[in-house]
Amino acid sequence: MFRRAKRDQADFSEELRAHLALEADRLRAEGLSQEDAYARARRNLGNITHSEERFYEAGRWLSFDHLRQDVRHALRQLGKNKGFTFVALLTLALSIGANTAIFTLTHAVMFRALPVGGPKQLYMLGDGKNCCDLGGYDQGNYTLFSYPLYKHLRDQTPEFEELAAFQTYTERVPVRRSGDTVPAQPFVREFVSGNYFSMFAVQALYGRSIVPRDDVPGAAFVAVMSYRTWQQYYSSDFSVIGSSFTINGQTTTIAGIAPPGFFGDTLRSDPPDFWMPLAAEPAGSGQNSLLNRPNRHWLYVIGRLKAGTQTAAAEAKLNSALRQWLTDVAGSNPGVESRKTIARQRIQLTSASGGVEHMKNSYADGLYLLMTVSGLVLLIACANIANLLLARGTANRIQTAMRIALGAPRKRIIGQMLTESVVLALLGGAAGLFVAYTATRAILLLAFRGSHYIPISANPSIPVLAFAFLLSLVTGIAFGVVPAWIASHSDPAEALRGANRSSSTHSSLPQKSLVVLQAVLSLVLLTDAGLLTESLRNLEHQQFGFETDGRLIVSVHPSLTGYSRERISLLYQQLRQRLENLPGVLSASLSGYSPMQGNNWNQHIFVEGLTNQPSTSLDRVSPRYFETIGTRLLRGREFREQDTQSTPHLAVVNQTFAKRNFGDEDAIGRHLGLEQSDEYEIVGIVEDAKYQNAYKPAYPTVFLPLLQMPPNDWAKADLPASSSFRDIELHIVGRMDGSEQRIRQALADLDPNLTVINVRSFGEQVSATFNQERLIARLTELFGLLALILASLGLYGVTAYSVVRRTSEIGIRISLGATRTSVMSMVLRDGFLQVAIGLLIGVPVVVAASHLLGHRLYGVKSYDPAVLGGAILVLATCALIAGFVPARRATTIDPMRALRTE
Amino acid sequence: MITREEKTRVALLQGTLDLLILRTLVFGAQHGQGIARAIQEQSEDVLLVDHGALYPALQRLESQGWISAKWGISSNNRKARFYTLTKDGRKQLVQETGQWRKLAAAIGRVLGPETTEG
Repeated sequence: MFRRAKRDQADFSEELRAHLALEADRLRAEGLSQEDAYARARRNLGNITHSEERFYEAGRWLSFDHLRQDVRHALRQLGKNKGFTFVALLTLALSIGANTAIFTLTHAVMFRALPVGGPKQLYMLGDGKNCCDLGGYDQGNYTLFSYPLYKHLRDQTPEFEELAAFQTYTERVPVRRSGDTVPAQPFVREFVSGNYFSMFAVQALYGRSIVPRDDVPGAAFVAVMSYRTWQQYYSSDFSVIGSSFTINGQTTTIAGIAPPGFFGDTLRSDPPDFWMPLAAEPAGSGQNSLLNRPNRHWLYVIGRLKAGTQTAAAEAKLNSALRQWLTDVAGSNPGVESRKTIARQRIQLTSASGGVEHMKNSYADGLYLLMTVSGLVLLIACANIANLLLARGTANRIQTAMRIALGAPRKRIIGQMLTESVVLALLGGAAGLFVAYTATRAILLLAFRGSHYIPISANPSIPVLAFAFLLSLVTGIAFGVVPAWIASHSDPAEALRGANRSSSTHSSLPQKSLVVLQAVLSLVLLTDAGLLTESLRNLEHQQFGFETDGRLIVSVHPSLTGYSRERISLLYQQLRQRLENLPGVLSASLSGYSPMQGNNWNQHIFVEGLTNQPSTSLDRVSPRYFETIGTRLLRGREFREQDTQSTPHLAVVNQTFAKRNFGDEDAIGRHLGLEQSDEYEIVGIVEDAKYQNAYKPAYPTVFLPLLQMPPNDWAKADLPASSSFRDIELHIVGRMDGSEQRIRQALADLDPNLTVINVRSFGEQVSATFNQERLIARLTELFGLLALILASLGLYGVTAYSVVRRTSEIGIRISLGATRTSVMSMVLRDGFLQVAIGLLIGVPVVVAASHLLGHRLYGVKSYDPAVLGGAILVLATCALIAGFVPARRATTIDPMRALRTE
Repeated sequence: MITREEKTRVALLQGTLDLLILRTLVFGAQHGQGIARAIQEQSEDVLLVDHGALYPALQRLESQGWISAKWGISSNNRKARFYTLTKDGRKQLVQETGQWRKLAAAIGRVLGPETTEG
């Protein structure tokens, strides 16, 4: 329709002129004078203008011109009808904006490729759904790899241009620029293999990136700094490149700055500030080093497949390499059992164009939910505007009838009305982009509350703009098509005859159905919002098994490599003493993990009297730990100052552990251990507390004193790792203002190797785990509210309009003796009936829709009658108010005036 | 256009102009005026082409892809738009010619043998 005609008007006119000249030539040759010949030729050609018009009408310019006229007409109409335009644009801007905002997030999290070279060629080994640091050889679907295994796979697979490995988790470590006087600050570091940057085809912006020769034992330590860090913390100072930094105690040269936008392998809220070669890992970890242990799987592997290589071929090669390696590890003569286990292990390639998709995995569900919810709001908005257009269409009936009577083709009427809706929708969409930008920013702030960095940009990208444009177009057609159809089918004779009298319910049925639809959708949204809010409330106010009031958590990175056992023991004692002496501090404790901190240590342990080794959460804690975090001691005792390395080794267990392993028998006095079952004696039982997942009951947990371990275990690498503390808990009175500075000071005074990562209230730590739930609940509430307002507006509009149309009828009723009350109830009944039908249809729809929410809900059933009842009540109240205003106006109709209006 | 002094000429039946244009172009590329002349001359001045109808017809045939056009220079050195028959146009011509002959024969049968009286 918009395609340009093959020829333009000028070309055609020129052809006619050429014809005239040729014809005149001929006539002159026949003997006519110059003038006569030309006049004759002209006469023979006939009316040139007429020909030109016929040419024009046959061309495609006509439809283009019609479109232009329609757009102009639409803009004029919109300008004339300011109230309607304002309401419609506002509705559209909000609903298209909301959808675009959610799409911006979904696109960034779900579909965006890593900002690296040729992301489509990247494949990850396994799905990346497991994390961190796994022992043993039985993963089934391998996705975590030890360094020796990675090297073996890398050398066996020429199918990959590069196969690079990197740490599955990042760590905050103390960093200080050499020569700086300020104490070390915590920065995020990630270890990567030497070919990591070349695998991603990423070059350093300045300086150089890490190369394979940096990743060999004995190489000088180098690091690549992220562009963001360079800008934010080192004010783009070029002297940083090549200068020397102390990163976690190691003197390191900054080789280069990564390009802007490169955030590494994973979209996350704490991307690495520094990348360092894997070979530098042992230096900072001492005896806890993971690098050369074949059984510790702590790396992800991503490779760039050579062009033209089938993934299946590469996969087959990887699998045979994996099994061969496992067989080698199992020794020359593996038993039947381990042969079976080896046969079960495999590697599956998954596309890594988006990198490691942790964020996608954890947000996918929530984003789809939000897309559905915002889509419903858009549907309601469409229904609303369609309704307004229908009402206006009825008002314009006479005009339309006149046009049809004068010969306007049906196609033109529909085209013109659709153009108007699409123009309206596109204007609304443009306004929606601003709404989307603001909303996306607000959502990001809510979603990444307490994060150092927001990895997603709110700026609309090309796909987002395209989405908004298409959505507006579809929206315009969706709400315009029914009114246009109805208008084009109005019977001119009837319309002209009927004037303003309207016994006909021609358009009121679609109008009423739209109100019913709105009621149904609003009920769904309101109920869902209610359920999610209730669920969040239950999550946040559940019995956690600890107290958050008046508690602070200080996260620390202690670099205690090389400290003797005695020195560490003394440090722990002094630390607690110092903190407890601070004003306002009631008690202080140290622990490996505090509840809901995000990390956890899990291990199979030996229990006296049990043949199997139950999987158990392990935590190492100082004296007064339970008292400080407010977990109640049910039986026995906590650890005391007097429990040292040389006194009998003790354990405290939680209720679930006691019940699961000992049943009704007494747990106190029983023994357990990490290597054998007689290392620790259980002296206390504490109530269950949630440490990891707020949705699930507490996991069986064993608490051990920080430093009690069998003497020869101290030399074993894993155990000291579990004994070093990461969190300090403080129970304080009064406000926490100023205490942060005192705490930092106390730690710095005692030992400069204790780098504080952050200080926050226990409440904040717990509530940060519900960021996603809170975001979804708040947005659903917002969308529910929007839906409610739109539906009320819709009902108000339809009722008010029907009152206007029935003015004379109501006037007659009043003059015949109808009381104000009966008029009012008549109007109200009408509006209420639609809502009632909506509710009637809505309830089963809601029950079905809420069922899909089931797995997101905590402590509330998807068919919770209180929530559903509340939603019905709110909707009914709004309907009543929306109907009441026009109903009251109906009662004030003056019968004489009403009859005179015709 | 039929003028008074040329009464012996016959106006074209609707739809036949397209066929005659296609037929004329079988002999090679030609411009609008030339086509009109050719039809007139071939019909021994019996058929008269309405020049006003000619160009919309050419436009129509061109958009259907039966003829193609490009600007060139005429034999007497004037710029003119020359039309050529396309492959599709040739097919169309064969088909329409057949139809026309069938129609003419049928009409002839209905009208009966020709009387010599004028």
